[in-house]
Amino acid sequence: MQAPENSNTKTVSGICLEVRDVVKRFGDLTAVDHVNLQIRDGEIFSFLGPSGCGKSTLLRVVAGLENQDQGDVLIAGKNVNELPPYKRDCNTVFQNHALFPHMTVAENIGFGLVERRLSKSEIKKRVADKIDLVTLGGMEGRRPDQLSGGQRQRVALARSLILEPTVLLLDEPLAALDRKLRKEMQVELKRIQREVGTTFLNVTHDQKEALSVSDRIGIMNEGAFLQIGTPDEIYEKPGSMFVASFMGATNIFTGKVVSHQDGNIGIETENGKLIFAPEPIDDSNHPISGVSIHPELISLKPTNSDDPQADPTLQTEFHGTIKEVFYQGNFSEFTVALKETKMLLTVHLTRGMGYRHKLPEGQDVSISWDCSSNNVLRG
Amino acid sequence: MKKKRIASKILWVLSMLTLIFLWAPMILIIVFSFSNNKYGSSWEGFTLKWYAKLLTNDQVRDALTRSLIVAGITVVVATLIGTLTAYGLYKLNFKGKQFLRTSILLPIVFPSVVTGSALLVFFTRLVHIPLGYISIIIAHIVFSSPLAVFIILGRMQRFDWSWEEAALDLGATPFRTFLRVTGPQLLPAIMASAMLIFPWSFDDFVITYFVAGVGSTTLPIYVFSQLRFGATPVINTIGTLFVTVTMSGMLLVYLIQKKTKSGA
Repeated sequence: MQAPENSNTKTVSGICLEVRDVVKRFGDLTAVDHVNLQIRDGEIFSFLGPSGCGKSTLLRVVAGLENQDQGDVLIAGKNVNELPPYKRDCNTVFQNHALFPHMTVAENIGFGLVERRLSKSEIKKRVADKIDLVTLGGMEGRRPDQLSGGQRQRVALARSLILEPTVLLLDEPLAALDRKLRKEMQVELKRIQREVGTTFLNVTHDQKEALSVSDRIGIMNEGAFLQIGTPDEIYEKPGSMFVASFMGATNIFTGKVVSHQDGNIGIETENGKLIFAPEPIDDSNHPISGVSIHPELISLKPTNSDDPQADPTLQTEFHGTIKEVFYQGNFSEFTVALKETKMLLTVHLTRGMGYRHKLPEGQDVSISWDCSSNNVLRG
Repeated sequence: MKKKRIASKILWVLSMLTLIFLWAPMILIIVFSFSNNKYGSSWEGFTLKWYAKLLTNDQVRDALTRSLIVAGITVVVATLIGTLTAYGLYKLNFKGKQFLRTSILLPIVFPSVVTGSALLVFFTRLVHIPLGYISIIIAHIVFSSPLAVFIILGRMQRFDWSWEEAALDLGATPFRTFLRVTGPQLLPAIMASAMLIFPWSFDDFVITYFVAGVGSTTLPIYVFSQLRFGATPVINTIGTLFVTVTMSGMLLVYLIQKKTKSGA
């Protein structure tokens, strides 16, 4: 625990946190449902899910602030089930920061070192180091109520990092900040993590935050992980309906597989439209239930009857009418009512594509995208 | 519009009358305590001789000392009991907690006569505690602790308990957490209850009268006994003393609360 400054705490196995079959119930509600998880040394791992999905509860079980009903928590290979929070080698940055209002910035940051009975001069030295790390120079003597939201955030981070935990737990620490500050703190969080090398376990409900700060993301819903992967895997290859819609792939066609040919599968939607997608290479035994397509991968143009029909195994084509246009600045969101199926399709066109005067509401349009962009969903 | 103006005028007059009835007797007592009139009931020039008389009166001095000792011990013990009880009532879950929490109100809402006579029977018939200092102090603790419990419990309900979790998370044991975080956070509420309990205990007449026994007169009981011989100017000075003690207690509470509010 008393590792030298800036040392990257490495465990023998490379796994600094392991959760085995953990269950946590609150009365009738199962908040965490048989979860298994391994967090690697030095990564930023995010629990991402809607509120009430159990992500904070799982974090609190790891911290020791809640006791699981079943299962094991191992920090650096050591079972910590029986250890109270003050004996676990992990520290938490709380959502509301939970700074001690009667202590100065320096006293807040040094709080844990006082408990470890370090000498005053040693505490002073380490606190000064951490104040540098989080760029709070000159604020040492201030009290929490004299700080801005971002500064409080930095104090909370420094207060936890000073104890050099094996895992740093972050419980939606950025949720309370405004949008611009949140973006700044995301950059800051990543910089600090790369500098100290500590494993960060971050809980968030913000997809953009998870995508931009994480090395890996675990998508949680109803107390269980639905998918664990790198940000691009999670975003581009969502494996299930829930992950796809949660990550913003709002266009989902449900259907059954009716054909396999040349590495493609054909999926027939409820309205009889055949959509082709690349044959998935995973060996999941969940049945394929549909495809999803991200709004930014779709192209739109005014319908022209002279256009030739494209090969349906290469291009997915639809026809429809623009119902609504939502201007977003850097892109516009179009809602298109499809003729072939009764569903509404969401399409994003960026400003650079010069769509503005050609595509008013009520315009009949042809819609198409590459079949290789179709993402297969299961379950 | 006109109706409204009349209504606000009536309200103003009523408020003024209330204030006059509240304050006039106290102000008169304070003014007459400096008056040369030997019945202490009209103004005949400034004097401090009643205060001099107060200081040289052994009975008054004994009663005052006794009242201060009783109030002092009561404040410390009742605040301590109140703090621990409030903490337990807030933090622990046990059967009958809600009942206990409500029943703690009883000493506050019961008529003092009932509490006083019940304590008298309890002391003399059941546990045989001699009437005097000990019985008075126990009685005062009985009716003061609930006040501390309620003030501190009120503060705890507005308390951000994540501070406590943060302290545990940063390596402080539950005891160290109370010492370094919870305690300091509760201090304003603990101080406020001490400031309220002191005048409560110092002023109490009814309950003390029941359990005091012979020879252990507190100041309020002395004042009452002297009144039987008619109001003397010395009584006015004691009254002034009471008003001053109570008002400074209230003022301190106000200042502490103001400081906590600006700090939170």
